[in-house]
Amino acid sequence: MEAKITVIGIGQSLRGDDAAGLMAVRLWQKNFPETASRPEVRVETLELPGLGLLDYLDGMQAAVLVDAIRSPDPAGSLRRFTLRQALAFTSDARSAHGWGVAETLQLGLALNPSLCQCRLILLGLSGRHFQTGAALSPEVEAALPYAAERIEHEVLRSLRKLARKND
Amino acid sequence: MIEKIEVPALARVEGEGGLYIKLKDGQAEEIRVDIYEPPRFFEGFLQGRFLQEVPDITARICGICPVAYQMSSVQALESALGITISEQTRLLRRLLYCGEYIESHALHIYLLQAPDLLGKESALELAAVAPDVVRNALRLKKIGNDLLKAIGGRSVHPVNACVGGFYRWPDVEPIKALLPDLEWGLEAAQETVRWSVTLPYPDLELDYEFVALHRPDEYAVYDGDVWSSKRKPVPVDEFDKVYLEEHVRHSNALHSRTIDGNPYLVGPLARLNLNHEQLSPLAQKALSEAGIKLPLCNPYKSLIARAIELVDAYETAIQLVKNYQPSGKAYAPLTLKAGVGAGASEAPRGLLFHRYAVDAQGLVLRARIVPPTAQNLPRMEEDLKSLVPQIIQLPHAEATLTAEHLVRSYDPCISCATHFLKLRIEEIE
Repeated sequence: MEAKITVIGIGQSLRGDDAAGLMAVRLWQKNFPETASRPEVRVETLELPGLGLLDYLDGMQAAVLVDAIRSPDPAGSLRRFTLRQALAFTSDARSAHGWGVAETLQLGLALNPSLCQCRLILLGLSGRHFQTGAALSPEVEAALPYAAERIEHEVLRSLRKLARKND
Repeated sequence: MIEKIEVPALARVEGEGGLYIKLKDGQAEEIRVDIYEPPRFFEGFLQGRFLQEVPDITARICGICPVAYQMSSVQALESALGITISEQTRLLRRLLYCGEYIESHALHIYLLQAPDLLGKESALELAAVAPDVVRNALRLKKIGNDLLKAIGGRSVHPVNACVGGFYRWPDVEPIKALLPDLEWGLEAAQETVRWSVTLPYPDLELDYEFVALHRPDEYAVYDGDVWSSKRKPVPVDEFDKVYLEEHVRHSNALHSRTIDGNPYLVGPLARLNLNHEQLSPLAQKALSEAGIKLPLCNPYKSLIARAIELVDAYETAIQLVKNYQPSGKAYAPLTLKAGVGAGASEAPRGLLFHRYAVDAQGLVLRARIVPPTAQNLPRMEEDLKSLVPQIIQLPHAEATLTAEHLVRSYDPCISCATHFLKLRIEEIE
């Protein structure tokens, strides 16, 4: 069976809370192995995928992206965004050096309008510090089990929706 | 008349820095490409490290051209140890370099410079009006990254190259599996050349000294002697006797000039003008059919040179992939001894020179790295001086864009040289 749903943790393992997305997805794999090993689910942890993120979304019917975010929320807070909501966070960076997930998704939509058919959810974990060489902050580390549960919830929800759609 | 222009960030270059232009009586009184990012101290980091660590450490200088740093460093260290690599090692290194040219040139042509020529602010804007162009560009680039991954294990910062050869021969099957994509890329690259000559380039013809590696038998990328359009060729080992680095107050990157004090140009224009006779057959055909007259002396038209080199890289890669059938050991054994060696290769942005001194235990005593963007900085400043009379009467935004575009056409890798940021033009009364 081909994968229909992808779960992608995004971040940098050596930059403090920027590793939150990677760590959350790995914990989800550990805590929910039955779902994570289903043949229709593909799991990736990507450090700085850049525009390559679009290749990982290619052909997917649903995606759960997990990434660290900077927000006014307390560190460890988790927010859920749909594709359209995520696009609202596009910066005015004219250089690809300033691009993040939102800009990449926007480019992906311009190049491949069918991307909007993908049920894409972005789970954002608020970070506190992003210094090179730092570990996860205690607040983010403490939030990982809940983040893993939310990933599981989103994956199961997507699986149910796809099953209904494909019936 | 322009009095002052400020741009908060120079976009679509690799790294960050500033540009300062002071005008007086309609002329450029002072032009500085300010490099104020702190130095990165790579030459210092390398001292005391074992020589086999050098290729992977220097590769981290740049995410776009890590192969260039690996290839110049391994050649320098092999020269220091007196190692001769096998022909199949040399060819695989050449193939690895094709991957880097493909990903770097496709990125710069379509996503970094083309938006300037098509009046778009960014690749996002370009994608909105010409999605097929950007889609093809991303595919062209991805094939280069796939090639790097097949040989070096990763699409960015590949890790397989080492002093003496490769840690292991890459598997044959994944490399041969790239052939259909490479064949598609070769067609798309030829189309890129046809498209590139239709773009509206600003007029700016300059008198350059072009400097690039040269080989009589192939388009020099991996190795060669140092050729110049205005002086005698020298072997790589004598490069730093003729092309000298100097410190200037406004830049944390060293500047390079010739021994007689002149700026010179490295990069695709220099390579194409000096080495066009060695291009692959289809690259030569594309050059001729597009009606491109050489030498190309307009810095904005380095995009055309990159397009020609894209054809050469794809065609060369196809031949090397078809012939790839490794046998025997992937590396020559190392016999450590004290020595000094130099190596150079052609990074996508231009000639990249390395020199190392190692002791009898193989530890680095001294390291010297001369990246292409640092060599081009004085030339960029000269180009901007020549451009000023053309832009001071233009509308403010257009003048700014034309100056920015000139710097972008160099595809400067400021993070190699160091970093880059702000454009400021002032007129003094």
